[in-house]
Amino acid sequence: MARSLEVLEGGIQTTVQDYPGRRGMLARGFFPAGPMDHFAFRAANLLVGNPEPAAGLEVTLGGVTLRFDAGATVAVAGAEAEAAVDGERIPLWESRRVAAGSQLRIGVSQGPGFRIYVGISGGIDVPPLFGSRATYTMGALGGFEGRALKAGDRLALGGESGDGTPRRFRPSARPPYSREWEIEATRGPHAAPDFLTEEDMQTLFGRWWSVDRNSNRTGIRLESHLFQWARTTGGIAGGHPSNILDNSYPVGAVNVNGDLPVILGPDGPTAGGFICAATVAHAGFWKIGQLRPVGDRVRFREVTVEEAIALDRELDERLTVASLESV
Amino acid sequence: MAEKTIKSPYPGTFYRRSSPDADPYVTEGDPVQPGDTVGLVEIMKNFYEVKSEESGVVNGFLVGNEDLVEAGQDIIVLRD
Repeated sequence: MARSLEVLEGGIQTTVQDYPGRRGMLARGFFPAGPMDHFAFRAANLLVGNPEPAAGLEVTLGGVTLRFDAGATVAVAGAEAEAAVDGERIPLWESRRVAAGSQLRIGVSQGPGFRIYVGISGGIDVPPLFGSRATYTMGALGGFEGRALKAGDRLALGGESGDGTPRRFRPSARPPYSREWEIEATRGPHAAPDFLTEEDMQTLFGRWWSVDRNSNRTGIRLESHLFQWARTTGGIAGGHPSNILDNSYPVGAVNVNGDLPVILGPDGPTAGGFICAATVAHAGFWKIGQLRPVGDRVRFREVTVEEAIALDRELDERLTVASLESV
Repeated sequence: MAEKTIKSPYPGTFYRRSSPDADPYVTEGDPVQPGDTVGLVEIMKNFYEVKSEESGVVNGFLVGNEDLVEAGQDIIVLRD
């Protein structure tokens, strides 16, 4: 009989995700989807002995209960939250064996952080769509029926490959969580002097931005800000200087829509008619999944493309079995 | 003596009304029963009902309409 788990409580948005998601589909209108915090997701997968492409769960905020119908190795990582197996508190960033019939409960997170990831040995076995099991919320595609999980859903689990040994992700290899996040980003593609002034760019990278409550997997809304702009209108593209002729958007773009900067998340739009003043580095992109949309603040730290690539290599090196220790 | 309070289940923006033109769900002096809706919390473009888990009478609000609240934050104080 196939292994499975049942959702007893789905929380506000729990989705099936895999890393790196649905890559290579930008030209067809698909952002990659995948975990909004790829660091915690990948750590949870590593802890349960899964191969990197295995699908797991992204839990937004918490308030989720799962019942395992088969024994499994599980690990919970990400935002601070109370996790318990059959009522017994378990530490985050550690794997453990749970017996058939066990219930994993994840309480509502008080922060810091906003998303919690559950790695399960064998992975979630939903049918891949265009090469990925990730849920793309804006397109209502992929994952489990293209939607967030709700009570009564039963998810098939794949065959286990790990040895089930409990492991801990070394505390020194875990990223710090905070209510104030410095996020690495490169300048452009639409920056100074063509679209914004140099002073605007210094403001973009210099100030702290509050995260709006209506941020989600599509985008992280920041605060409205009156930029100086290098031009008075968008010309043939529109009346506002943030308007450009429709253009493709990079994943993690800091898209300025009128006066409102929005960081495009994993389920964002692939194209549109607003400038992208900066682009979050892949090594910093995981942080946008942990921004709590009730008062967390963000500051962008400017890096070069070369620095962004080097940071990504360092991050990849931390996400290997060398960061695991026995419990 | 511990006061009875109603807490927000989620972080977000607290609203006392279902829409700008509606009456508040509850005001000071109103009786509430377990399961009664006393407000809404908006987060990630969705609205969630804030429900009382206790019975009592609304004694006062600890947060204002449209204030940001955290998960588990006390919003309303009840008296017997």
